[in-house]
Amino acid sequence: MKARTVRLWSVVHTWTSLISTLFLLLLCLTGLPLIFHHEIDELLGYAPQPEAHASAARATPQVVADAALAADPGRVLQYVSWDKDEPGIVIAFTNNAPDGAPDNATLRAFDAVSAKLLGPVGVGPMLIVLKLHTDMFAGQAGKLFLGGMGLLFAVAIVSGVVLYWPFTRRLRFATIRDHASRRVRWLDWHNLIGVVTVAWALVVGLTGVVNTWAELMLNQWKATELASMVAPYAGKPPPLHLASLDDVVARARQAAPGMEIAFIAFPGTPFTSSHHFAAFMRGDTALTARLLKPVLLDGETGEVADSRALPLYLQALFISQPLHFGDYGGMPLKVIWAALDMLTIVVIGSGLYLWLARRRKRAPARTDAFAKRAPVPS
Amino acid sequence: MHGSSGPSHLRIRVFAAPILLAAATITGLLAALLWGTVGQYVAWVTVGAPVLVVLGVWLRRSKKA
Repeated sequence: MKARTVRLWSVVHTWTSLISTLFLLLLCLTGLPLIFHHEIDELLGYAPQPEAHASAARATPQVVADAALAADPGRVLQYVSWDKDEPGIVIAFTNNAPDGAPDNATLRAFDAVSAKLLGPVGVGPMLIVLKLHTDMFAGQAGKLFLGGMGLLFAVAIVSGVVLYWPFTRRLRFATIRDHASRRVRWLDWHNLIGVVTVAWALVVGLTGVVNTWAELMLNQWKATELASMVAPYAGKPPPLHLASLDDVVARARQAAPGMEIAFIAFPGTPFTSSHHFAAFMRGDTALTARLLKPVLLDGETGEVADSRALPLYLQALFISQPLHFGDYGGMPLKVIWAALDMLTIVVIGSGLYLWLARRRKRAPARTDAFAKRAPVPS
Repeated sequence: MHGSSGPSHLRIRVFAAPILLAAATITGLLAALLWGTVGQYVAWVTVGAPVLVVLGVWLRRSKKA
């Protein structure tokens, strides 16, 4: 590689890293507790616990819906969700209006058998950490900004791989030059940790970027696929009386055999039309549980109106989520995720140190050169 | 024995371990998603491999010091 090419890649690596450093540190530091958010919530008492029951007969969806409305008088139901990993709990979202802002929604957990209110969901210190991690309390603009930082991170990684060759070609793999200066030792650690974690960092970084586009993708789906699904029912008013949720769930199951219900969106919410329920169905494996299939049902009669697979870009979004969160391989994978996160913090920190050390090294040289050029006073 | 010192040989020497680790990581990330419980075990080993490499180098240096 020519010296000029190396310099060019070095400039790309330096500046893409420097611009994104502060935000990447924020993402890594907030991401670390988020890996264990469930365990932390449990420890701090913010995770609702299902009751112990001798009988396994689950409360019907309508009973849970009634309990949710009774727990939040004057408000409406937006969604009811069933988490595959928490079979003892049903979560209900209530809001001021069906299309109410997400920040105004209240999430409550109900026992899946007795439909008893177990407590609020998504509260406590982890919510602050999550908001910092996803949008820095700046809404969609914050999300897109962090997505941009993620793209810079990806460019920094690729340019780092390109520079790995000229910087290490005379060394054996994993060499740390202990007898050299501190700067050289940190350069070796930076190169080693950076190159061994490159695949994980790229996957987590890019899936994070994809997640920042989630709202845009959902808007696109609503404007195209969902619009075409509800087009035959255009002009139909919002339902005067809602169909029983039990009927809705039963018909959705018939329309998607072999699948279970993940969540139901009520008419008028952002995930459906003003006249329809949308039941989002999931499979039972780690992969198919992420690939949701929407079933549209009439809000008054509960009859199936349409059902289609999600478009590729939404499937990509849903598959990208576990690859970003690391929550699909049990506790050992979470611990590994945390270790890789900490190694990424070391790479970012050492990169910053190397840049500062190089500047300090150059500064006296510049001063000397200036002193040599300056006229000597007589 | 004659060792080749050509550019391609050098590139293989420099990039062999990183490429193997990257392939292992990707395999593990997908395995846990596609192969159920067996995939999870694969992921623990392969996604954890880079951590073990760094830990190994750090321990080797600590012993020397």
